[in-house]
Amino acid sequence: GETYLIKEIKVTGNTNFSEQTIIAYSKLRKDEEIQVGGEKIANAVKTLWKSNLFSSIDIYVINIDGSTADLEINLSDLPELKDLTIEGIRKGKKDEVIDENKLKTGQKVTENLIATTKNYLTNKYRKKGFLNTKVKISTSQVIDSVEKERVNMRIDIDKGQKVKIKAINIEGNEKITDKKLRKAMKNTKQKSLSPLRLLKRSKYIEDDFRADLISLVDYYKENGYRDARVISDSITYLDKRNINLDIKVEEGEKYTFGKITFVGNTVYTDQQLSNLLQIKEGDTYNGVELRERIADETNPDANDITNAYQNFGYMFSTINPVEVSAEGNVIDMEIRISEGKPAYFNNVTVVGNDVTNDHVVYREIRTRPGMLYRKADIIRTIRELGQLGYFDAQQITPNVKNPNPVDGTLDVEYSVVEQGSSQIQVQGGYGGGGFIGTLGLSFNNFSIRDLFKKDAYKPVPRGDGQSLALRLQASQFFQTYSFSFSEPWFGGKKPFQMSTSISHSRQFLYNSSTGSADRDKRFNITGLTFGLSTRLSEPDDYFLLSQALSYQHYDLQNYNTGLFTFGDGTSNNLSYTIGLSRNNLYTDPIYPTGGSNFSVSAKFSFPYSLVNGVDYDALADERDEQEETINEYQANPSTNPAVISAYDDAVARRSEIDQERFKWLEFYKIKFKADWYQSLTKKLVLRPSVEFGFLGAYNNSRGVIPFERFFVGGDGLGNFSLDGREVVQLRGYPNQSLSDADGGSIYNKFSLELRYPITLGAQAKIYALSFLEAGSSVNNFKDFDPFKLQRSAGFGLRIFMPAFGLLGIDFGHAFDDAPYGATVKNWETHFIIGQQF
Amino acid sequence: ILFISCSDFQKTLKSEDTAAKFEMASELFDAGKWKKSFRLSEQILQKYRGKPQAEKLTYIHAMCSYHLGDYYIASYHLDKFTDIYPQSEKAEEAAFYAAKGYYYNSPVYSKEQKETVEAIEKLQLFVNEYPNSKYLAEANTLVKELDFKLEKKAFEIAKQYNLIGGYTGDYVASIKSFNNFLLEFPGATLRGDAFYYRFNSAYKLAILSVDYKKEERLKEALDYYQALNKSYPNSVYLEEANILKEELQQELNTFTTKS
Repeated sequence: GETYLIKEIKVTGNTNFSEQTIIAYSKLRKDEEIQVGGEKIANAVKTLWKSNLFSSIDIYVINIDGSTADLEINLSDLPELKDLTIEGIRKGKKDEVIDENKLKTGQKVTENLIATTKNYLTNKYRKKGFLNTKVKISTSQVIDSVEKERVNMRIDIDKGQKVKIKAINIEGNEKITDKKLRKAMKNTKQKSLSPLRLLKRSKYIEDDFRADLISLVDYYKENGYRDARVISDSITYLDKRNINLDIKVEEGEKYTFGKITFVGNTVYTDQQLSNLLQIKEGDTYNGVELRERIADETNPDANDITNAYQNFGYMFSTINPVEVSAEGNVIDMEIRISEGKPAYFNNVTVVGNDVTNDHVVYREIRTRPGMLYRKADIIRTIRELGQLGYFDAQQITPNVKNPNPVDGTLDVEYSVVEQGSSQIQVQGGYGGGGFIGTLGLSFNNFSIRDLFKKDAYKPVPRGDGQSLALRLQASQFFQTYSFSFSEPWFGGKKPFQMSTSISHSRQFLYNSSTGSADRDKRFNITGLTFGLSTRLSEPDDYFLLSQALSYQHYDLQNYNTGLFTFGDGTSNNLSYTIGLSRNNLYTDPIYPTGGSNFSVSAKFSFPYSLVNGVDYDALADERDEQEETINEYQANPSTNPAVISAYDDAVARRSEIDQERFKWLEFYKIKFKADWYQSLTKKLVLRPSVEFGFLGAYNNSRGVIPFERFFVGGDGLGNFSLDGREVVQLRGYPNQSLSDADGGSIYNKFSLELRYPITLGAQAKIYALSFLEAGSSVNNFKDFDPFKLQRSAGFGLRIFMPAFGLLGIDFGHAFDDAPYGATVKNWETHFIIGQQF
Repeated sequence: ILFISCSDFQKTLKSEDTAAKFEMASELFDAGKWKKSFRLSEQILQKYRGKPQAEKLTYIHAMCSYHLGDYYIASYHLDKFTDIYPQSEKAEEAAFYAAKGYYYNSPVYSKEQKETVEAIEKLQLFVNEYPNSKYLAEANTLVKELDFKLEKKAFEIAKQYNLIGGYTGDYVASIKSFNNFLLEFPGATLRGDAFYYRFNSAYKLAILSVDYKKEERLKEALDYYQALNKSYPNSVYLEEANILKEELQQELNTFTTKS
């Protein structure tokens, strides 16, 4: 084209933009050379188009004078949207349509906008089964004093009636029945009277139908019909609401597997590989199955051929199935394996541990430098790092770096994200007859060696994986103070946990005349526990053996209740506990999705009665005599001073005897507890659990001790009592209502919980649950009947936030009466605080 | 000596007089009153944008953050200062303190070292940019200190594999990690220690070894002893190492005579 020098540029047409703006935007300049039909003009038009502001753009060369010329840009603004009317849908839905299509006032109305909006609406309703949806969009110019191109838009939506599939007719199938094929179509169903299928409706959605045609063909393929295809599909309109789907298939021949040979395998024998493959010569040809046996993408732990190699160091292995012959509908396969060198870990690193010290993380890692690469080790490391609770379990990722097939090495970097592992609990509330204040601090990634370092307080010294907890709770009737500390790797050489705790509590009796606590009547408990536990390597390394030595001192002063016959006295509890547990829960400790947790423990005291020479039989007999005297008097009170004095003597003697019996507590206690977690679907988790406890005496004359007992029922929150009691949750019943007032000596419990996660983010983990529970508690082995249980069912919600711990609410319905006379309501509400189980 | 009373400061802080604020901010800065100077300079920073005073003000504002210990912010602003005013007489100083701010952000060696690596890079850049700087010596000292952190980190991780070897049954991890350490830190301060602990791990591996690998492992351990003995004849560990070596030697003798 001709070349001219631009003399002037002018802007014409219907636009609100200033001439300067448009010229600047077009990037055309005065005194510039341009070519007719050249790049510069084309670019100018393109740039202006891109602005999405104009409906027509023309550039003319005018006033040609020798080698100079003027340019004229002629354009008109796109109209802006003024008002929008939508007909045919509910008001609430209109905002959604406006938002998703950006149909706000002021929006430039382009042809494209109209077309996409129309498509959007048509598809939207078709997807919901309104196959006959018709959408009409019209615009009309606004004529008013505003000098701007503006239009009003009107959208008419005629959804028509929901279209149902009356029947799906399949033609051409001889080998596989209509029924089976219809079943293979997961989301496209014909009308049915079957009550089982109420949830899946027979609406027609084109996308689903297309996907289901593929499923149908896949179904054929899984059954050996490798060549099967859909020849045609069509819709027959029966009336406005009903259609038939007609599908024509061509089945082709049925194929079977022929010889399957492995090529390139040196690590595993052909026999071992074909055991993993589980496909034999003569089996119906199934490509999907073949693929899964070689590498199951859906399950990282699958027992497939790829994992067999990946868990044996062969990181660089590849496995390719190849059809080598398909003669006579028999397919011979060759599984070509390239094993590569076995890979060893070179550098193993951790990033993201801003708080936690290296040694705390590295000791948990199961992939160490120089070790053979095993995928399973990486998976287990992630699970175990998640369980520490210091890192967000959902965000731990292993990054394989520098894989080197030549040297057979790779690096792995574990990327972690720290999460808050400290909890502060400040609480005030009414309960137990007055105000209760609680201050609880628990630090789960504490660093005691930084205790005296000023810089480490951010806000507390953290990073050594120790836990430290302090708890103060007080009301006018009781006070408790407790402190505990534990170090999971005492000495640093192996997971040998050392823990220690000190606690002290004071309880006061209620004074009915003043209506407040009577400080002269008190019961003090002071305790000290020292424990060690170690992970075992046999039978497998999920086992934990724990031992504890604990001492408690009970000091009573004027404390006469039904529980104790010695109101003034002391009791000592020196005991040894040994426990064995196995825990392989994964991945998230707050919301496990698999694994099990079981524990069995025995706690016992020294059998003093065997060696201390006290004749407890005689004492028991004497106590019976005193009881008799007491009961006689109580049944038949007398004013005779001699009788009264005899009664007083009997009461005093009885306390003396009891004081002798319980000076040093003699008992053994056995507990068993197990729970399992099983993912039912992608999200639902089922948690069955069972537990049992028994408190016994070595010497029956000395009797079962009044402490260390089981209290079944209610929310299971161990309140302030430190007398070794075990509070067992059984929802639906009032707290501790299923045991005798003094506690039971035997209990058992079964429960079934179904959990559903609402969110499992780092900030808050929330899940809903429903449960069935049954349990009971008795005082005597004679009365023990494992099938005579108090049952309940209910539902609830748990919220875990790192700073607050676990909070929850449960609503439980009881099906039975409480055995010891407590009133059972229809529904019991339980608040769960800080309990993790 | 400067004397600005509290009430003067409060009055200026609340006034609208930017010029007075600017003046007081620089006086306070010269007197080392970082907090007050910072508050004033922050107020007027926006107002002087694009004006000649902005150079001094930006410098004052950033250096105040530095002195107040807010190193993340300080380094950010100082970096920006050197970007905008590369010709400023304070550019070198600002560049140095920006880098030093990164240095202060570097955590203890046993935690994630992202900031340490960043600080080393920044200091190195400074050294390259101003090879004749009066801060050069200090910059080099800081880099050394940071390098040592990375070295110490790798060393301690390798040493922990030795410590937990009895539990994991894996001393190879420790040997491998020390070998990697020696490769990665050729001039390491802890090189001598690494030689010893590598030998110690190899010793334990050999002594506890299954029979069919024992001879090879004993020899390998003795090789590591030789390496230690040759490179660090005055090592404090040598006495201990000699005892272990004797044991290995004996073990090897009985083993070779046995078979």
